[in-house]
Amino acid sequence: MSALLELEDVRCGYGPTSVLHGVSLAVPEGGIVSLLGANGAGKTTTLRAITGGLRWLGEIRFAGRSLRRMHTEDIVGVGIAHVPEGRGILTELTVDENLKLGAHRRKDGATAVRKDYDRVFEYFPVLRERRNLSASTLSGGEQQMLAIARAMLMQPRLMLLDEPSLGLAPLVVRSIFEIIRTFNQADHVAVLLVEQNARLALEMSTDAYVLEVGRVAVKGASAELKGNESVRRSYLGY
Amino acid sequence: MQEFLQQIVSGIASGGIFASLALALVLIYNAMGLVNFAQGEMAMLATFIAFTLVDHGVSYWIAFPVTLVVAFAGGILVQRIVIRPVERAPILTLVIVTLGLATLVNGVAGFIFGYVPRSFPSPFSAQTVNLLGAFVSYRDLGVIGVSTVVLLLIYLLLQRTTIGLTMRAAAHHPEASRLLGVHVSWMLALGWGLASAVGAVSGIMVAPILLLEPNMMQTIIIYAFAAAVLGGIESPLGAVVGGLIVGVTVNLAGAYIPFVGGDLQLAVALAIIITVLVIKPNGLFGRPSVRRV
Ligand SMILES: Nc1ncnc2c1ncn2[C@@H]1O[C@H](COP(=O)(O)OP(=O)(O)OP(=O)(O)O)[C@@H](O)[C@H]1O
Ligand SMILES: [Mg+2]
Repeated sequence: MSALLELEDVRCGYGPTSVLHGVSLAVPEGGIVSLLGANGAGKTTTLRAITGGLRWLGEIRFAGRSLRRMHTEDIVGVGIAHVPEGRGILTELTVDENLKLGAHRRKDGATAVRKDYDRVFEYFPVLRERRNLSASTLSGGEQQMLAIARAMLMQPRLMLLDEPSLGLAPLVVRSIFEIIRTFNQADHVAVLLVEQNARLALEMSTDAYVLEVGRVAVKGASAELKGNESVRRSYLGY
Repeated sequence: MQEFLQQIVSGIASGGIFASLALALVLIYNAMGLVNFAQGEMAMLATFIAFTLVDHGVSYWIAFPVTLVVAFAGGILVQRIVIRPVERAPILTLVIVTLGLATLVNGVAGFIFGYVPRSFPSPFSAQTVNLLGAFVSYRDLGVIGVSTVVLLLIYLLLQRTTIGLTMRAAAHHPEASRLLGVHVSWMLALGWGLASAVGAVSGIMVAPILLLEPNMMQTIIIYAFAAAVLGGIESPLGAVVGGLIVGVTVNLAGAYIPFVGGDLQLAVALAIIITVLVIKPNGLFGRPSVRRV
């Protein structure tokens, strides 16, 4: 079976410092995969490499097609929505303008977009209420919701989420993860989930990879990793 | 009172001219965090293009839009050829590049058209009309009308269209915008094109008043700086309000403060720049100057 997203021996870094030393991983069509690891392990860098934020060696394929030398704006155009570390909210703009930007490259017509707006507002009613306010007035949780809602409106085949739980209250995190799962099932959208909160991520995902200083140290089915005490102790910290 | 009203109206007319050029400065400032010192010279060159067209018998109202289209394309070319290679260079490099561009454009215009001031046609008559007791020239009203239409169009483009939305997004958050599929580099080029076209409007509006020659915009750019700084350098609306305030203030100062007269009006603009920078560096519409990286 060929996966939707495949990384093969990916190496990259920032200037002279190399950060990833040969990372291989795969995200199946419609699946949820966790990418775990300690601070500085290279999780964010992996996502950046996928969406063309830095140059890499090795191979990255999406839907069977190499992403080599593609520009970020074209990579996201073929169906990858990347919710970056820090959420990437455009705080100069309103909530609605942020959402519009998510949908602006779609070619399937205004009716389809409007339908998706309605769905997204069902998932996150607070965004409908705040629609015309500046995105800078949103709380951290609401900004994360906006970032995810905006990614949903991009109508992706794969979503890259970089620590969506960071800095949010546990209850908010629960509800956001629930919605991501619902969306994944309803739309068959694959998710690559970067998390520090390993317990939560393993609950969500079917497969998981643990990065350690730029290498995949452990990989396997999420249920197995969850049950393996030595892995939990030495890599996941709980 | 009547005289006062007249001064206000012609202040608003100059203000419209300053506002157009100030808006051009703001558009580019937003796109690359830097004032384009060549903005005035680019406007002057565009005005020479309009002049040449009119001189060859093209009607004013055809020459005007044609010039704007040429200026727009020229702005995009300048961004692609001159600015893009140094986009990521230190700010000082960029300053020097735009200053060099200003000198270059000025020299080219001098070389091609010479330094003899030429009278530039105005489509509006110099006659006056009685407006609420004040005698206002059609020329001032025409300038106010044209500036209003142009500024309104730019506003609608930026605020009400998808392309305007992506331009604003690219200017403020290039990284995040890229992840949403915005072609950031092209948006910046579009910003240059737009700025160049708006700047050209100011050149064409001011040329009948000042006479057209290569150094024509060198005082106007100072007023435009004052307007942009007063408005808060990042705010298009601020540039327009700033332009109007500077236009009216400078005009009133010239008319009513005895020692200012016509000669020291420029000093008034400089005084505005300095006062704003000292008292309220973010201007009237600027946000506090915390720039995210
Ligand atoms: N822009 C950058 N320039 C230089 N080095 C960087 C840059 N971003 C990250 N690094 C380095 O690359 C390594 C991996 O960083 P990365 O952000 O990918 O880690 P991470 O797994 O996402 O960590 P965290 O959990 O803290 O977000 C770190 O050593 C970091 O210092
Ligand atoms: Mg990270």
